[in-house]
Amino acid sequence: MTAAGESYQLNIDGFTRAVVGAGLGDSLLTVLRDTLGVTSVKDACEQGRCGACSVLLDGRLAASCTVLAADADGARVVTVAGLGAVGLARAVRAMFLAEGAVQCGFCTPGFVVAVTDLLTRRPDADDEEIREALAGNICRCTGYGRILAAIRAVQRERGMLPARREPPTHPVGG
Amino acid sequence: MTVAGGAASRMFRPRGVGEAVEMLAVARESGDVVALLSGGTDLVPALRSGERVADAVVALRRVLELRVRGAGADSLTIGAGVTYTDLVGWSLAPGLARAARVVGSAQIRNTGTVGGALGSARPAGDLLTYLTAADAEVLTASPRGLRRRPLERFLADPLAADSLITAVRLARPGGPQVYVKIGGRQAAYPAIVSCALVVDRVRHRVACAIGGVGHLPARMGGAESYAVGEVDWTTGTIPAPAVRRFGDLVVEAVAGIGPALPVRPGESADYRWHAAGVLAGRALARCLHPRTDRDGAS
Repeated sequence: MTAAGESYQLNIDGFTRAVVGAGLGDSLLTVLRDTLGVTSVKDACEQGRCGACSVLLDGRLAASCTVLAADADGARVVTVAGLGAVGLARAVRAMFLAEGAVQCGFCTPGFVVAVTDLLTRRPDADDEEIREALAGNICRCTGYGRILAAIRAVQRERGMLPARREPPTHPVGG
Repeated sequence: MTVAGGAASRMFRPRGVGEAVEMLAVARESGDVVALLSGGTDLVPALRSGERVADAVVALRRVLELRVRGAGADSLTIGAGVTYTDLVGWSLAPGLARAARVVGSAQIRNTGTVGGALGSARPAGDLLTYLTAADAEVLTASPRGLRRRPLERFLADPLAADSLITAVRLARPGGPQVYVKIGGRQAAYPAIVSCALVVDRVRHRVACAIGGVGHLPARMGGAESYAVGEVDWTTGTIPAPAVRRFGDLVVEAVAGIGPALPVRPGESADYRWHAAGVLAGRALARCLHPRTDRDGAS
């Protein structure tokens, strides 16, 4: 049993962090931002609807505002900063910039976590699958077109899409 | 600053069902209000908003035996800790998989659980509506032992404070099943109105549940009996006019359900009733191919 006022530990981006002084009813979002100072995890709806606070919890995409922080003791929590400096996560970040998928930027960390999760599981996801997988991440600037373009660019750059047969060539004109 | 959660003072994290029942009893001894925490998608935001208050929390994340699903000869058993994501690709339960697939968003499906859907019992909850149509049974554990009750009885007499949900059980599908819903957005928002339709081509049964028209999903007994009489069971088809009549019967039935749910913008009672009829007709047409007169003139 954990009593109010007792500290507990969280594994954030591979580091063990002691949580002291948080309420037992506090969400993982609250503890990440207000107790541990991890501000890339954004606070918007606090109802699990907007995706701005997305993290990976034991490898699964989750809204940190719906997770009780004290119950994440023993789980691996990964934020955008813990996704890695190389490989897929780097490519996703770079393409968000290159393709203009960042407007005000508030939703971006959550999107980068969600997109990296999606492309790890489903490298060759098509437009429909991408849109469905990202339906829990809202961009209030409505920059979805550029976000989709960035994801497609990552897939092309990293050779994630199946090789397509070239369409048959027909003689032009006559 | 984010809004802090409620003033819970004790947290229990059992590793088995037996231990969970014991801890629940300990937590309750001091007269505390105890909340059972599964995925957290309902409870954690509710603690923050003050909609729910808890002195103690019993968290079930580490109870691995609740995360098991299994198939017997006649039935499927789904542990209370099974998430929607775990159900999405389950080929043995296409209707359940379909209902799980359209819940919330990837984030919600990854954390939300079957037990949580029953414990929270939202009026238009996706899973609750499906389980109502599927005649599910709810298995619970308490210091008095294990109990198995039909979903309807479980919902009418909410979880005793010393009990926890361990699993739901339903019959293996005997025909097509669909789940359809209307919400403020396709994803992430709760459904306004939902409809689950379960057809059993072996036992010649049609079951229809509508969520979002009363405080719990409701079965459409009259419309079900009507549909059973209209289906051609050898071909699995139904006359097209019967689909429309089915929708009308559903509208009549849901309009009689009381007490009324609170009206929000764009969610008047009239709208809900109309939407229920449309969804029910659509669901029936997807399960049983509608036949025009010309088709049936052989």
